[in-house]
Amino acid sequence: MIRTCKIFFGCLIVLLLLWQIPSIYNFFAVKPTDTPFTLYSSVVGKFAVLQHGEDKKMTYKDHTGGEYTEDQFDSILPTFYYRQLITDGRFPDSICGRAVTPRDVQISNFNMRISPLDLNAPKIGVQQLLESMSGRVDLTLPDDVFRITDSGIEFVKMATNEIDDRKSDRFTEMMLSKGFVFPAYRMSGNPTDRKEYDEGYVMLDANRKLFHIKQTVGRAYVRAIELPKDLVVEHLFITEFPSRKWLCFMTDVEGNFWVVERDSYAIKRTEIPQFNPEAESMLIIGNMFDWTVRVNRANEQCYYAINADDYTLIDSLTYSTPNKTMPGLKFTTTKDKFVKPRFVN
Amino acid sequence: MENVIECRNLTHYYGKRLIYEDLSFDVPRGRILGLLGKNGTGKTTTINILSGFLQPRSGECLILGEKIGEMNPLTRRKISLLIEGHVQYQFMTIEQIERFYASFYPSWNKAAYYELMSRLQVAPHQRINRMSCGQRSQVALGLILAQNAEVLVLDDFSLGLDPGYRRLFVDYMREYAKAENKTVFLTSHIIQDMERLIDDCIIMDYGKILVQQPISELLGKFRRYSAQVKEGFELKNTEGIYNPSVIRTSLELFSMKPEEEVKAQLACEGISDLTVERVGLEDAFIGLTGKY
Amino acid sequence: MMIKAIFYKEWIKTRWYWLLALLLSIGFAGYAMLRVARVYSMKGAEHLWIVMIQRDAIFVDLLQFVPLFVGLALALVQFVPEMHHKSFKLTLHLPIRATRAVTAMLSFGSVLLIATFALSLALMWGYLQSVLAPELWQHIILSTLPWYLAGLAAYLLTAWISLEPTWKHRVINGVIALLLLRIYFMSPAPESYNSFLPLLAVVTLSYSLLSMLSLTRFRDGRQD
Repeated sequence: MIRTCKIFFGCLIVLLLLWQIPSIYNFFAVKPTDTPFTLYSSVVGKFAVLQHGEDKKMTYKDHTGGEYTEDQFDSILPTFYYRQLITDGRFPDSICGRAVTPRDVQISNFNMRISPLDLNAPKIGVQQLLESMSGRVDLTLPDDVFRITDSGIEFVKMATNEIDDRKSDRFTEMMLSKGFVFPAYRMSGNPTDRKEYDEGYVMLDANRKLFHIKQTVGRAYVRAIELPKDLVVEHLFITEFPSRKWLCFMTDVEGNFWVVERDSYAIKRTEIPQFNPEAESMLIIGNMFDWTVRVNRANEQCYYAINADDYTLIDSLTYSTPNKTMPGLKFTTTKDKFVKPRFVN
Repeated sequence: MENVIECRNLTHYYGKRLIYEDLSFDVPRGRILGLLGKNGTGKTTTINILSGFLQPRSGECLILGEKIGEMNPLTRRKISLLIEGHVQYQFMTIEQIERFYASFYPSWNKAAYYELMSRLQVAPHQRINRMSCGQRSQVALGLILAQNAEVLVLDDFSLGLDPGYRRLFVDYMREYAKAENKTVFLTSHIIQDMERLIDDCIIMDYGKILVQQPISELLGKFRRYSAQVKEGFELKNTEGIYNPSVIRTSLELFSMKPEEEVKAQLACEGISDLTVERVGLEDAFIGLTGKY
Repeated sequence: MMIKAIFYKEWIKTRWYWLLALLLSIGFAGYAMLRVARVYSMKGAEHLWIVMIQRDAIFVDLLQFVPLFVGLALALVQFVPEMHHKSFKLTLHLPIRATRAVTAMLSFGSVLLIATFALSLALMWGYLQSVLAPELWQHIILSTLPWYLAGLAAYLLTAWISLEPTWKHRVINGVIALLLLRIYFMSPAPESYNSFLPLLAVVTLSYSLLSMLSLTRFRDGRQD
């Protein structure tokens, strides 16, 4: 008995040390690596790099070493600094040989963040499906929520906490008739009234077939989207950008990055190299010409320039961000929102 | 005679400080043994070892033939323990504490407890922490009587008691132990009243036992001698003499040797007009251990 | 019979505090429910549900440290009187194995604590299930479970510290206990403990083993 207690106490102390010593060391000794702000410029065909110099002054360069003034820097990133250019009266009539207006730039710009923190997080099993064709300018939140069960979709009236059987049956029947197999493997939507339009949800059904589901005038809109042969989709990211060009982005089991175009439901593969959204975070700053894609990997930060029209890889740049933290026992990580003990490097 | 308590070669240190080395003693059945000593001579240490709350560096103690550390818990039914200061569960009332202990002892004597409690000027619902030390001592005593154990281990029962309660406790305990043939091991730092209670005594000095014998034997032999001497006198031969002291011109010393031998021994040093007195236990204790 | 007597002793020590703890736990849980009910009546069910779904609100954040304090205080109420004038010696002198006596004491306190927590949870469940979908009330209840486990851990760890005979080790044990208790408050995100809860519950219960170490040290006569 006492032996058991002593062994237990010993194990407890060892685990506490494995937890505390690395965390104290990492807190005091490890400084995060700074990487400069980087964006691809289609104007000069190079990555533009904005960096704090040693004397705290900003330096404006490109990744081949060319230097710029602040004004020049605005001009080589016209879609990013378009508001500055308008204010200065320097906004051009055309960029890269294409006639543009500030409005075109504004509509085609987008930012997208994909973080493992959002994927690896506890989720509430109910969501809201907005009305996407209310006839009003502003979106409104519905008075019900839905859940996907093993046998269908269930809408629950919030005011009464009761299931709306008629609506549930209508939607379930529509989904089944389009070949949806319950339950859903993944779904992605953005149920908020603070957006310009609503595309409902993209879902992978139990067989990982892709569907687009929304509510139009109270009715179920369900569209099965044909996937290329051998494409096994893993994660979905609904876009709902002002340009309305895409329905969603996707990653497959092999780490490829795909887009689904909105009007045609055409599925296209991008040349963004291997990306695992469960472990790596991604930031895309897109405009009508190119996307700057930043991927934070284990020991490096990678920048990819992607052609906005055909999704080909134009250029890439890698900053080394060596991980100098001491491995140890941790309960939380920056990659998920779960608390559980694990050994982390 | 059967020994109820046996301690063999006890040695204990606190840190590096030696409390005692190779302490051995026995308590035969039916005897009341008092362990007397000044503060810090290891009385509480011995009690703690006997009651299982201290692991001695070496040596062992047996009560009722069982080693303390490996004692069957049920054997403790036959051992009563009184903690220093008559500590009992402070949060209980007279009634609650009786009900609590009754479950543990098959031969519980509820009547004996309440007989004693009826003499206390406290209500049955009064909590023990609201009682005086004297009243608490009566509760503790009542519990000991009710438990009806074979062996009683009492740690400094005199602590905090005024003379009345001390006398009450002593008389009750003596009466009870003798009538029921109980074996008692106790310590005390107050020697008054002890004569009335104990059969045998162990008197301890720092690190050793000075005397271990029946009280009657000790008091039968122990004498105080006093005489007038010149100022600056110093006794040369101190064999068999305890704590000789000279205050100005008065010499005082103690001995257990026959009077004739002491007189002869002192005569050699030029002392003749000796006053010889029998002493009580308290004086004998001081004579043996010194005033300092 | 003897175990029952030990329960009786523990009950005498803790009964008034238990009443207080019960009032406190139920009071806080009830107050949290009242706040939910006020949102419900003033802004409607829709607001309540949407705030939960979109903003991860669980409305019971103020309960976070209540079980911790309730558990810690229970251990103090139960074990400080034992250490007062070393009355614990009386308990250890009882004709019952010391480990059994301590196990009985810890079991008593744990059951009392779990009953208190279960009543608060039942109260919350009773109200929440009437106004929220199962996903939502489960979300709230599951988010509070690590806090209740922390209460149990605080109880068992405080018992361990209280029974320890020397101040030096009490301080060391206190530091260890603080670190162990931090584990229950590593993330404010609702339901983030779900997969860890079963293991955490087992580890929490095994903190009762630590009291046996204090018991051994007490019996060996360790002192400052």
